[in-house]
Amino acid sequence: MATHVPTANGTAMTGATALVKGLEAAGVEVMFGLPGGAILPAYDPIYDSTIRHILVRHEQGAGHAATGYAQVSGRAGVCIATSGPGATNLVTPLMDASMDSVPLVAITGQVPSAAIGTDAFQEADIRGITMPFTKHNYLITDPDEIPGAIAEAFHIATTGRPGPVLVDIAKDALQKMTTFNWPTSINLAGYKPQSTPNAQAITDAAALIAQSSKPVFYVGGGVIKANAAAQLRALVELLGAPVVTTLMARGAFPDSHPLHMGMPGMHGTVAAVTALQKADLLITLGARFDDRVTGKLSTFAPNAKILHADIDPAEIGKNRHADVAVVGDIRETMAALVPALKAALAKNKPDLTAWLRQMNSLKSTYPLGFDIPEDGSLSPQLVIQRLGQISGTDTIFTAGVGQHQMWASQFISYEHPRTWLNSGGAGTMGYGVPAAMGAKVAAPDTTVWAIDGDGCFQMTNQELVTCALNNIPIKVAIINNESLGMVRQWQTLFYDSRYSNTSLESKRVPNFPMLAESMGCVGLACDRPEDLDKTIEKAMSINDQPVVVDFRVHRDAMVWPMVAAGTSNDEIMIARATAPDWDSQEL
Amino acid sequence: MTTAPRRQHTLEVLVENSPGVLARVAGLFSRRAFNIDSLNVGPTQDPTISKMVIVVGVEGHSLEQVIAQLDKLISVISIKELLTGSKSEVISTQPDYQN
Repeated sequence: MATHVPTANGTAMTGATALVKGLEAAGVEVMFGLPGGAILPAYDPIYDSTIRHILVRHEQGAGHAATGYAQVSGRAGVCIATSGPGATNLVTPLMDASMDSVPLVAITGQVPSAAIGTDAFQEADIRGITMPFTKHNYLITDPDEIPGAIAEAFHIATTGRPGPVLVDIAKDALQKMTTFNWPTSINLAGYKPQSTPNAQAITDAAALIAQSSKPVFYVGGGVIKANAAAQLRALVELLGAPVVTTLMARGAFPDSHPLHMGMPGMHGTVAAVTALQKADLLITLGARFDDRVTGKLSTFAPNAKILHADIDPAEIGKNRHADVAVVGDIRETMAALVPALKAALAKNKPDLTAWLRQMNSLKSTYPLGFDIPEDGSLSPQLVIQRLGQISGTDTIFTAGVGQHQMWASQFISYEHPRTWLNSGGAGTMGYGVPAAMGAKVAAPDTTVWAIDGDGCFQMTNQELVTCALNNIPIKVAIINNESLGMVRQWQTLFYDSRYSNTSLESKRVPNFPMLAESMGCVGLACDRPEDLDKTIEKAMSINDQPVVVDFRVHRDAMVWPMVAAGTSNDEIMIARATAPDWDSQEL
Repeated sequence: MTTAPRRQHTLEVLVENSPGVLARVAGLFSRRAFNIDSLNVGPTQDPTISKMVIVVGVEGHSLEQVIAQLDKLISVISIKELLTGSKSEVISTQPDYQN
């Protein structure tokens, strides 16, 4: 970043050209956006730029596409919009990227500097609006400051704990002349992320692990962000302790590995949830004790000491006290921990045999499962399971938010990092289709499936037009249960089956295959279990156009296991009013 | 609800002297439900740096969490706790994981 001097340095140009030259100097290859009045000066040099600009149909699509691109490529995603409503349409993707620590740079046009504060046409204080959920943001009114702000934005977005950065630029700053000056180094007095962990903390961490008898690796999305899957596997296999991967960490550790207990949390496996509850040490790696993982915090992992390794010092002790904290890049941390742990284990190697036997017993007694509907209709879980099996483990899956998202996290086997993209912290319905678009742009030779709900799909499906017109052949599986399914599930369980405003009424309105065809995609439908595999295979055979498959599934399927919101993980249910048979378990 | 006693701490925070910094700090306290008892902003000898003196009432949240979240703001350069008492001692309370 900012190491080479662009050839444009020292050249006179408009602020708009300086913006585009800055993006080029930052290494941007693709951006997603939609023009408007205030940002229009920038779109003129974009016309000549080497950067591929993908014209979306809604700015929210640009934001989530940039996120999908970033999650697959590991690089910053870039989106661009005009002032006012264009900028506010980026608010949800920015909040989403902030919650899931995605490196994103958003560029917005602002009204001319003289008009700021006058309630001018399409004026919105987007810097003020996005302060709570950007890592940092800028309002630029001087064209001389544009290259520096762009360089800083990419530096801040991609280093330390990744996150979104917004650069709002007044229209007159884009129009005025400046001399391009790309910084050779970035020195921010208030931003010094620590990547190398403290040596004493590593020694303490290794000692704590060597003293434990029931350790669990609690693995979060930070491991994927840090490209640390190999280091994780080395560390896990050195100790031989069970592993759980959170919703944001699916793929950080192979699902097929015998030490993998699955996903913890509200819809986690019995083995993963119980591993955390019964552990005497949580080896917490790039995770943040989110409420969807801990359940009722005061009863979470009651007997466990906490080793907390994270890039963000503010996560240490935020929700749960850490007995040993290691602040730093999680890849460097684990790489340092391996030799330290080897040394500690040489003195005292805990015998984990009984602990592993208990966990494996839970894993085999309570595997994830589902019932096939007796009326011969399609099971949503089966659809998702077959999608995973037929597409293979190199496939990238994205999801919306709700039941289909949980089933996609449960019934697809993830073997590699960056193959599972979803909106974990924000829970953004509508994330699936645009994120898949961005993922496919980052990995054009990889199959990308968006697994979406019929509710989610109706929020952002317009980006299929963008996909069709820009040769971005994603595949979309609509898990169509005619409902806002997860909300309906809560109504079934907690509101006496009073289905207030969760019915989407009909499987025929909209007609999803026809809607898909109208947007330049291939539209398919599947109603019957006997057609499932051949429909998926048909979709897999189409690679020159986006494909949308309307899977019309049973309406009453529910996501299990479940820890009800606000309750203890100890109260995990494997089906309605059914707890695991704890008495038969040796714990 | 309030089981932890509420304690006042005085923080001296050096920030970039740039537009919006006050909103960043005030917004952080608001959205994370940290209590501000008082906040003063003034210049320093360096025109690019301003000084905030913030009296926080720590209730439930540890002082360390308040400081860690403040330190995440890019515009915040340094944070010190001013200890009131006979000596008005000044100590750095930024969590320092390097040592």
